[in-house]
Amino acid sequence: MRIHSSMLAVPAILLSLGILNGCGRKAERTNEVVAASAARLPLDPLDPAWAEAPGHVEKLILQDLVEPRLMKASTPEILVEALTSGSEIAFRLSWPDEAVNDLPGAGRFLDQCAVQIPRAIEADAPAPQMGEAGRPVEISFWRADWQASVDGRKDNINALFPNAAIDHYPFEAKPLDPGSSDQKEMATRYAPSQAVGNRRVGPRETPVEDLLAEGPGTLSPAPARISRGMGVRTKEGWAVVIIRKLPEGLTPRRRSAVAFAVWQGSEQEAGARKMRSGWVPLALRAAK
Amino acid sequence: MARVYNWQIGREMSYWYPGNRPQRQFAAVFDTNKCIACQTCTLACKTTWTSGKGQEYMLWNNVETKPYGSYPLAWDLNLLKDLNGGKWNGKTYEGQTIFESAAAGERVQSWRPKTEDYSYPNVGEDDCAGAVDYGMSMDLPHMNWFYYLARICNHCTYPACLASCPRGSIYKRQEDGIVLVDQSRCRGYQECVKGCPYKKVYFNPMTGTSEKCIACFPKIEQGIQPQCFVNCIGKIRMAGFINTPDKAQAENPIDYLVHLRKIALPLYPQFGLEPNVYYIPPVHVPPPFLRQMFGPGVDAAIAAYRNSANDPDLAGLLSLFGSSEMLMTKWKRQGETVTGSNDKGQPMVSIPMKEPVFIRPAYDKLYQITRTNCP
Ligand code: SF4
Ligand code: SF4
Repeated sequence: MRIHSSMLAVPAILLSLGILNGCGRKAERTNEVVAASAARLPLDPLDPAWAEAPGHVEKLILQDLVEPRLMKASTPEILVEALTSGSEIAFRLSWPDEAVNDLPGAGRFLDQCAVQIPRAIEADAPAPQMGEAGRPVEISFWRADWQASVDGRKDNINALFPNAAIDHYPFEAKPLDPGSSDQKEMATRYAPSQAVGNRRVGPRETPVEDLLAEGPGTLSPAPARISRGMGVRTKEGWAVVIIRKLPEGLTPRRRSAVAFAVWQGSEQEAGARKMRSGWVPLALRAAK
Repeated sequence: MARVYNWQIGREMSYWYPGNRPQRQFAAVFDTNKCIACQTCTLACKTTWTSGKGQEYMLWNNVETKPYGSYPLAWDLNLLKDLNGGKWNGKTYEGQTIFESAAAGERVQSWRPKTEDYSYPNVGEDDCAGAVDYGMSMDLPHMNWFYYLARICNHCTYPACLASCPRGSIYKRQEDGIVLVDQSRCRGYQECVKGCPYKKVYFNPMTGTSEKCIACFPKIEQGIQPQCFVNCIGKIRMAGFINTPDKAQAENPIDYLVHLRKIALPLYPQFGLEPNVYYIPPVHVPPPFLRQMFGPGVDAAIAAYRNSANDPDLAGLLSLFGSSEMLMTKWKRQGETVTGSNDKGQPMVSIPMKEPVFIRPAYDKLYQITRTNCP
């Protein structure tokens, strides 16, 4: 459910996100995304270690480069907290979202978020909306249904439609030994995206996917997995931790940039229909 | 938006991409007068392509009873309401196509079906447009009517599914105009599901990508008609390729029926996609209903079809429907024999226009017995 801006005086959301932070400590707020040093990067968004992380509230704006797009803003802003271990960086993203949307289906859409960082640190960052040709951006992308799968949702139609009754799948017919290569081969024939290694829904080891982009419409799988993550429901919405390899060249003396995107399933957001940020400076805070 | 020419609406129109007609365009003619809604086509497709997990609800081919049937629910009604009629001036459509009426931020005007809209594949089945009371059915012509509309993807010249995808994951093959979803690029945004006015792209909730009719392209590549064509009990279908009207060839069966004899018409041409499945309209349905569905050519098409008994060429070509599983891209009538041939001109089938009839006397004088006509 979208929270209308009229319902959201800015101090109110800071207060609520402060509580969401789950600590008695007064939350530190910064003008940019600052990753504080930590010996351990907590994957669990509810881990008390997140209390040590500085937070930055970033207003979200409409994706406005590519049609089809949203014309009315939904998610107003996002709280980003960050920690670094020196070799990895962890972001904790939290945003208000009343409804859980984690069931894929026709006309059903999923809650999602993404963190985008330029591959190379340059004086001027590439175009904030997905980078540009020759100047790629690295994207770590989390989706609520992948989280549900990691959390134990079964890989069958009844997990999505509890009352579905299925008479028969040809690849589960008697003469085929379950799990045999013949049986798997036949099942794949009826799952074309799986056959070409692009199964977008289904069993996952991690709810996060690594992607590269060089401009809108160019999103493609990254050659290596550098991110992991975990999302949980909070009282207000979602809190998602994404931990990834420290961006190339990012040191306490040298900043990079980071951008975020959020999709609300209940608003039928997917792909180009999203709320996003511009580039936000990304700094590492030297260990004390 | 680019400007392209759409011959079905007799004018230029706006489209998301510049015009790029394929070398050849897959096309089909369906004779609605012969369909019996046996759904053999539906099952032929289902068992071939959509028996997988997440495909349970998908009907790349479906047959719905008009006026009340629709799958997904109200697919056409919803859009017709949004388009608010749309006016023809003779053969020229003066209303807006779905590309021209797209709201700011959208590429096409469209609506998005909900999961539940796919729950009633046979809603309205065999329902008449009015009650049949008091022995009305005994009188001819019948006052009330329904007919069967078999539907597959139209492999449109200007596909809205293709235009809607922000990733360019849908493509139209140059060699035959078949429209496909690239299963390695699709990220399941469902923009095509929303964009296609015929609602012929389906989201697979178990693989997370969108899937659609592929016109059995592996068969087409071998010169064989698709599954829903060769399995059709009513022999209502013929597959082939269509040219633009200025290049129509009399020897091409689709060109002959669509362009030269004009008895087969596109489905909702006013949407602006130049769909490539052409329907011979049902002869018993009130023309205003049919004009809305098939455009202004309905009356002439019905008159020509009704006259086909006195029109040996038309009758001959219509009898080629369902006569061979092979694609027949050329045809010829010689006297009482009709021949369908492939691209190379090799005959695929030759049939008599009238099946020979033998009437056997009930009493067999030779054996001095009376026979019944049971086989
Ligand atoms: S009928 Fe729909 S799915 Fe098929 S090509 Fe046309 S727009 Fe695309
Ligand atoms: S198989 Fe032929 S006759 Fe039967 S429903 Fe399909 S189109 Fe109609």
